[in-house]
Amino acid sequence: MRSPIRFVVLAAFAAALAGGWASAQEVSFKDPTGDDNGPGKYTYPTDTVYKPGSFDLTDLKVKESGGKVNFDVSVNSALEDPWGMKVGFAVQMIFIFIDTDGKEGSGNTKGLPGLNIAFAPKDAWDRVVVLSPQPPGRVKSEVEIKASAMKAAIIVPGRTRGSGRTISASVDKKDLGEGDISTWGYQVVVQSNEGFPASTDLLTRKVNEFEGQHRFGGGNDGDCDPHVMDVLAGDAKGDKSEIDAQHQMLAYECNPDGTSKKMATLTMVHKK
Amino acid sequence: MKSPGRYAIPLLLCFAVTAPAAAQEFKINWGGTIYTKWLWGNARNAGSLYNFTTVPGEGYGDNGQGNEIEILLSGKLSKKLELRARVHSRFSQNFWTNFGGFGGRNPAGSGGDCISGDCGEFDPRSNQYVKLRGATLIFTPGYSWLDSASLGANDWGQFDPFVIGRIRYIDRDNGAGLLLQGSAADRRVTWDAARISLPRLWAGPNFSTGSFTASDAAYGAQFKVAPSPVFDFGGIGEYVNDMEVDATDRNIDNGRHVRTRFRNTVVGAKAAAHVGTKLDIRGAYYYSSHDSAPDLNAPASFGLAGFSPVIAGQHNDNSWKANVDLNDPFGVGLSFNIEGFFIGAEYTSMMAARRESDVLLTEGHDSAFAFPGPSNAAFGVFGGNPTRIGYGGWDGNAVQVATINVDNEFTDFDEPMAETAIGWKGVTFVPVFSKGAFDLSGEYTYLTYDTNWQAWGDPSRGIEDTDFAAHEGDTGVGHNFRSAYAPFQDKKTHIALVKGKYVLEVGKGVDIFGKVKYIKDEDSRMNDPRFLPYQAGDCPGGGVECTGNRNFYSSGHSTADIYGNPPVITVNGVTGYQWKPFDNLADDDRDLKYWMFNVGAGYQLTEDLYGSFTYQYFNADLFDGNTAMQGYRLHEMASGKHKKNQLIARFRYTLAGLSECGLEYQYNFGTFEPDFGGGFVTQFASNDVSKNVNVPVGSPGFAGRFGGWNSLLKREFDQQRLKAFVKVQF
Repeated sequence: MRSPIRFVVLAAFAAALAGGWASAQEVSFKDPTGDDNGPGKYTYPTDTVYKPGSFDLTDLKVKESGGKVNFDVSVNSALEDPWGMKVGFAVQMIFIFIDTDGKEGSGNTKGLPGLNIAFAPKDAWDRVVVLSPQPPGRVKSEVEIKASAMKAAIIVPGRTRGSGRTISASVDKKDLGEGDISTWGYQVVVQSNEGFPASTDLLTRKVNEFEGQHRFGGGNDGDCDPHVMDVLAGDAKGDKSEIDAQHQMLAYECNPDGTSKKMATLTMVHKK
Repeated sequence: MKSPGRYAIPLLLCFAVTAPAAAQEFKINWGGTIYTKWLWGNARNAGSLYNFTTVPGEGYGDNGQGNEIEILLSGKLSKKLELRARVHSRFSQNFWTNFGGFGGRNPAGSGGDCISGDCGEFDPRSNQYVKLRGATLIFTPGYSWLDSASLGANDWGQFDPFVIGRIRYIDRDNGAGLLLQGSAADRRVTWDAARISLPRLWAGPNFSTGSFTASDAAYGAQFKVAPSPVFDFGGIGEYVNDMEVDATDRNIDNGRHVRTRFRNTVVGAKAAAHVGTKLDIRGAYYYSSHDSAPDLNAPASFGLAGFSPVIAGQHNDNSWKANVDLNDPFGVGLSFNIEGFFIGAEYTSMMAARRESDVLLTEGHDSAFAFPGPSNAAFGVFGGNPTRIGYGGWDGNAVQVATINVDNEFTDFDEPMAETAIGWKGVTFVPVFSKGAFDLSGEYTYLTYDTNWQAWGDPSRGIEDTDFAAHEGDTGVGHNFRSAYAPFQDKKTHIALVKGKYVLEVGKGVDIFGKVKYIKDEDSRMNDPRFLPYQAGDCPGGGVECTGNRNFYSSGHSTADIYGNPPVITVNGVTGYQWKPFDNLADDDRDLKYWMFNVGAGYQLTEDLYGSFTYQYFNADLFDGNTAMQGYRLHEMASGKHKKNQLIARFRYTLAGLSECGLEYQYNFGTFEPDFGGGFVTQFASNDVSKNVNVPVGSPGFAGRFGGWNSLLKREFDQQRLKAFVKVQF
């Protein structure tokens, strides 16, 4: 018997495959291991929850499928949940900055509160996706209070989860904007989830001159140093030369009073 | 000994910070939290605003509303000196119904313990007092050999949960001491050294550090070397010294001598290799040694149910674990974690983590079965021992700690439960698959025990003369969170589970999750007939009294001390033994087949509100000894069929400025059908028994060796509880 249902199912399957083929776009970047030291001298907090490699970025994968864009960010350590965040990870906080239009001067050149970074005008970001183990509502409320001027550009996924070494989230493509995701510029900033942030920080952990139980070390006690442990750099292929490129990109200078003399200025990486 | 060296470090730190502090501006930062909690439950307990404690004199409850506030201050006086401090009022018994703490029983403590806020203004637990919880000075003197020194409160999370773990009692800053930290070779080498003032509340035999407490301390040191990102190693050591004044020193003109009441030494080594991004290999080994002095009020031994955070006497033992993590080796989203472990029966570290860390990969046991009795009561065969945490227990599965000094005190049901892993040895295999919106993971663990022994591992001693503190004992569906030891054990455990989560693309996405878990537990307990309490044929049956011819497993020692023969009784014309005589090795066997099923869904209901519903079903078919064993004479027997259901609703709400707001409601219901075997005469509850253990007058059961009552009625549980809270950081 030739059931019409069979043809409907086959047609739907074929359409799904064709649609998937037509719309699935993917771009990926790599970052070398051993460069989870920000501008070169940063050190981890001393509490044992911060395992070696926890903030060492290794991969970014971005994939568009069915009106969604999926982000997978991997680090060089198995994810753990020592603070009971119940999403498979706890200590990391990831910011994925995206330049969707590639136009100089279009977008934000200021970083987010607590990161102490800027972006080069040609790499101004249009959207940032925040991968946090905090409940989305908490992240959004912090954005409302601390970054309200940029809130339209800050995308907080409804679900963020960690598994193995990879932190993943999916957002609606329409929230990111038009265009081919493979032509966009990307920058990943690896930070740490701070549940008790300073009043000026967007759930980020501070970097001080000396590391503490829950503070990074190797920076400055003021806010002139980038509070960033790892970023994509160079061609983002994972080559060891990208370590130097990262250190140069995150180089900073401070005034004696702890204010910024030269802020770390980031650029985007693009698919080559 | 008076050593001038002990003053060197504080003096150096003083010189390091004094001059610049005066010249620079500094700012004090203030912050804090207001936390409001609302408890409701139909157990109708109102001892305190925490669900659970076993601390004598403290209350527990499932009803009440209260506030607490903490105020944090911090500041950098100079580049070299930072300070932090915290004051906090605790919930304890500060109910809103106290109406500000006024009135109450005066003086506090007259007429019994201060619980339920009864002592009002006259007890600090109910008069809303605000207390200094911790103060810390952090020096960063800029010396090449010293990165920082912390003086004061610390939770000691810098060390290792097997040796010096993250520690709290009620607050994370209960502990205090001196911590020095340094580094070399561009931070490829780091070291920490600490002197931790020994917590007098629990850090010694009998949960005490004796009479002379102020100089007791734990000394710890560790180093870590990371020559490359591929390989790192380290070492750690700890020495605990609980001192007492030597009462035999009668010449006080030259000072007074001290003696050691309890000492504990632990050393450990760790190494890890990170082979590319796909493979991690880690290993750790620990060796412990401890000794205590019975003439200084340390227990010389324990009976069948001893309570102490450390075992008595002098012991050495070791622990190790090895982990292999394969991270997505095939590039398909499938990872594997494997752990082999051994935690020695006599391994002792006084400052090991008590609840704040999970030292093993396995899920272990479920927290819904935390205590021996079917209702989660301990010593429930005697009056006045109802369940404290409730029939539902705690949420989720337990975390494992490498100590019998487990701390679940002052917790609520929605918090994780810790369980001891002392004596555990085995292997855990965990595959994890993650792809897109789908997460699936599993576990298989095979457990056997370093505590598998007969007569506490030393048949030369009496059965009620052991170094091992058994706490609530090893009976019941679960493993009883702080019970590592039993007089007889021949046990193995299999744990297997599969759990998954999927996001269904409907609306904002529906989180669908589920889990199936199976535990098979077999314990022959007594496995050698030489330990049977009486000689063969001692109780002939047929209404004939037992003769009482003891069987001695060694000179003068018989298990008849704990497994005494029953008297002959006549009830409603039936004559026989009051309980089955212990005359067969199978009388104390344990056989558990345990299933747990969980299914649920969650949804972002509004921009600010997330809700989920979960249904959990537990089915435990347990044989846990018959009336000859009777739960070591002390606990409700749990042999029979347990069916427990939990309907759980959770909500999380967030508004700008509201750091956390949540609610969890549970409806816990189920049954226990006892199956205690035969060989005894059923008795019927008197009015006194009815009042003592809350069973109907005339209901069937039997009275045990100490007169405790085990009911033969099918029990039906129907309990509800709720916790709601609002936390605002400022």
